[in-house]
Amino acid sequence: MTPRPLSILCELTYRCNLQCPYCYNPIALSEYRDELSTAQWRRVLLDASALGVVQAHFSGGEPTLRADLPELVETAAGAGLYTNLITQGTFLDDDALDELIGRGLDHVQISIQAPAAAAADRIAGTTVHEKKLQALRRVRERDVALTLNCVLHRQNHDAIGEVIALAERLRITRLELANVQFYGWAYRNRTALMPTLEQVRHAEAIVEAARERLRGRMEIVYVLPDYFGDFPKPCMNGWGSQFLTVTPNGDVLPCPAAAAIGDLRFENVRSRPLGVIWQSSEAFERFRGTAWMPEPCRSCDRRELDWGGCRCQAFLLTGDAAATDPACSLSPHHAIVTALREEASPAEPIPRRA
Amino acid sequence: MNDSPRFGKGVKLRRDPDGSTMLLVPEGALVLNGVAAVALELVDGTHSMAQIVEAVVDRFEVAPERAREDLQTLFGRLTQRGFLQ
Repeated sequence: MTPRPLSILCELTYRCNLQCPYCYNPIALSEYRDELSTAQWRRVLLDASALGVVQAHFSGGEPTLRADLPELVETAAGAGLYTNLITQGTFLDDDALDELIGRGLDHVQISIQAPAAAAADRIAGTTVHEKKLQALRRVRERDVALTLNCVLHRQNHDAIGEVIALAERLRITRLELANVQFYGWAYRNRTALMPTLEQVRHAEAIVEAARERLRGRMEIVYVLPDYFGDFPKPCMNGWGSQFLTVTPNGDVLPCPAAAAIGDLRFENVRSRPLGVIWQSSEAFERFRGTAWMPEPCRSCDRRELDWGGCRCQAFLLTGDAAATDPACSLSPHHAIVTALREEASPAEPIPRRA
Repeated sequence: MNDSPRFGKGVKLRRDPDGSTMLLVPEGALVLNGVAAVALELVDGTHSMAQIVEAVVDRFEVAPERAREDLQTLFGRLTQRGFLQ
């Protein structure tokens, strides 16, 4: 039986006014300019709800660049979906925010690039940090949940303590510190973004102490860099098991990075209904369950914990999307990851651009 | 924990057409058992903890003492995570 999807990621547009070099969006941004219409997105949301989805995440690019975002939030909320906006926050003035909350927005996630303006604006490639702080304060005062996000990489890793201190000053109750994952632009920039082992160990100690100190006041979600662990990340909790992503042009992907897998063909909501794509498209079926697994996954006790790790990472690093994720210490290709860890270079990353 | 608990920001209850109930929270969904569903249905800032316990005792075969303890544990955990206030 086909599993029930719980969560849909709506990548409304890949347009963005920032140029973060750690962006996971595909390098070929220009291939996604033919964006779905409002009516097509509404159909996607209603079809997702009919499939059993309970959460809609609006992301991008920068989703607030779509003028119809409030209408799409209203459609999702009206269908009983939990609505989450993932934004860099620079367009969230009072009116925009009140409009979104009035239409049923439940949760806002705003990302910062670093705790201090100079470093943050350098990473973003434009002057945005102060605007983001204003947006964070605005959201905090309203009746909507707020998460502050900061993607960690070598350029800002040493400032993790200051990120937590800033979150405290802003009275943030939920902080997400996620190490960069190497897809799209981030993959291109991996040697410049790869943290050092010292940075990773240092960060773990700081997060541990902050969690203890802030218990009950701030929840800190810390996502480990999988290049530094023994086991890979459980790919989407199982490929085609709980999550689906719709790209700006309507392609339906099992994971937001799946476009990286060169030989995987995606179906589009312009030509087939979402439910049919979820249930029977080749892209979703290929890595569902455990039957596709090679050794060492096939006979591994962790096969339904890790799900073989990340298919996209397996493809990017080995050329074979069905290989065991090289981030796993049991992978025959694990040496690729250990070599990449050491490849950290002092070079400046290349800014994202269309 | 408040004596008349209410949900934290961005936390809401969802009843599925199939009869199951979930607590939707920022970046997560908790599937509730029958007791938790009945108890959390009454979380609205007006029902007291005592009333919530009473509703559970009325609906399920459970001693009041046991229900009170279990619900305090559950609500304490949810409060700790910011889902109740």
